[in-house]
Amino acid sequence: MKEKIREFIFEDLIFVAEPEKFSDDDDLLEAGLDSMGIMRLIMFVEEQFTVTLPDSEIDPDNVRSFNTLEQWILQHK
Amino acid sequence: MNIVQPFFKQCSDTPDALAFSENETAISYVDFKHRVETLGLFLQKKLIAGSCIAIALDRGIDSAACIYGVLSAGAIYVPLDIKNPAVRLNFIIEDAQARYIIGSGKAPEWLEQSEKWLDINEIFQQNKKAFMPVELEKTQIAAILYTSGSTGTPKGVALSHQALFNFSAWATQTFSLNNTDCIASLAPFHFDLSIFDLFSSLSIGASVHFIPDKLSFAPSKLTAWLSEKKISCWYTVPSLLSFIALKGAVETTDLSALKRILFAGEVFPMEHLITLSNLLPEVNLYNLYGPTETNVCCYWKVDRARLKLGESIPIGKAAGDAVLDVDNETSELKVQSLNNFSGYWQNGKLSALASSPYPTGDKVSLNSRGEYCYHGRLDRMLKCSGYRVEPAEIEQRISQLEGIAYCAVIGMRDKTSGQRPAAVLVLENGVNLAVAIKPLRGLLPSYMQPCKFIIVDTLPTLSNGKIDYLAIEGLFH
Repeated sequence: MKEKIREFIFEDLIFVAEPEKFSDDDDLLEAGLDSMGIMRLIMFVEEQFTVTLPDSEIDPDNVRSFNTLEQWILQHK
Repeated sequence: MNIVQPFFKQCSDTPDALAFSENETAISYVDFKHRVETLGLFLQKKLIAGSCIAIALDRGIDSAACIYGVLSAGAIYVPLDIKNPAVRLNFIIEDAQARYIIGSGKAPEWLEQSEKWLDINEIFQQNKKAFMPVELEKTQIAAILYTSGSTGTPKGVALSHQALFNFSAWATQTFSLNNTDCIASLAPFHFDLSIFDLFSSLSIGASVHFIPDKLSFAPSKLTAWLSEKKISCWYTVPSLLSFIALKGAVETTDLSALKRILFAGEVFPMEHLITLSNLLPEVNLYNLYGPTETNVCCYWKVDRARLKLGESIPIGKAAGDAVLDVDNETSELKVQSLNNFSGYWQNGKLSALASSPYPTGDKVSLNSRGEYCYHGRLDRMLKCSGYRVEPAEIEQRISQLEGIAYCAVIGMRDKTSGQRPAAVLVLENGVNLAVAIKPLRGLLPSYMQPCKFIIVDTLPTLSNGKIDYLAIEGLFH
């Protein structure tokens, strides 16, 4: 799952010079993920992994890194 | 004339009314006026009338007081986006020839001219005294808003007191604002949308509520906040409204106080506008149009019956005194209005207008109802998250990097809204892309960072030798 999300974020949302060096704990918001990016990310995740992420839980802290994002998705799987 | 005068009058009418709220802090008209007076008096003693004061504070009560204080003293406010890279901030301070930079606490590391730094907290400790705003010629410059420039560096759009006053009064009247209104404010002060939040509101006794930054990433918390604050009017960008329409839990949130939403800055994707319109059937929606140079010169009150998938909404009819004209050959929209800017600010002074009416660079047509419709740009300018971005400014920064032989920047259409910059590069022999572009993050603001890079051997050119931007766009599809 993380691999697919990594690919989507680095292909479609933000450019990182060396994605392989971007760790699962690195800050995606600092790397340039903005509110529009978060919206597209959530729509991608919901469609790809047939999961519904509650509106009330959309928060910068849940999408800050690949690890927090994975935890959040798994809670609703 | 002074754009702050209507606020001073309002202070004698409704001194105890709420002027601003920011997180847990709230301030009344009269208390806000005391801060403005303290600042105004302090600055006036420094004989700063007519000079530029840069403001290095996030949007909020202190920053708003600073703007009002600077204007009261007859100076010009230059709001900085403190999230910008140091090189861009120092360029703006230098280009504006700012006399002082007002911020909070000690001078920051990035500031080259640190001897010009003033700490707002120290200014506020000065003794409180009554102070009347300086009376000015209406053509006196009030604000310089720096935007992306096609020559490769940011350019300052200089707006007079008259221009701000004219817009503010038009908006107050057109959207029937009054002293019971609660206005939400999210636009940073270097963004022209903030002119509405700062001046229309306080001229009629309304209250302004600063939306906490992090809520723009949390749509349902944002709508809950709008509900809690009983927001009645909000002027913002379509991308955020799209986010709210899709993920803002609008169905389950009481937004009955909300009467109008104004949006501008980019084209609102029809699909999301229809969703928003259906979720908020009682709210009047307005599409406002105009570059920073003209402020709003055209607007359309959304007619729900005319929202159809696959179609686009018009930008509407002339706003206020604006006279609009379409060039027969190029279809470029030209605007004459009292809102218009006075010229670009360069090297500490106003450069005369190159042409009047102002040529917007936007292609438009008139429909059968006499409304203007927008059809994109005549030049290469992009709209990214509501910000205007000149590819030339990005190209200049990239070209300065080591190891890059040539580069060209175009806009990729974003699926949700607006565009995002993307770059094609020719690298010098043996250069690694990741290493070459690493410094870029420190040179350009985040909304100007290319989201994709493609390496080519040579840039595609037209038969006349110019870069073939259409072919470059093709590389990204």
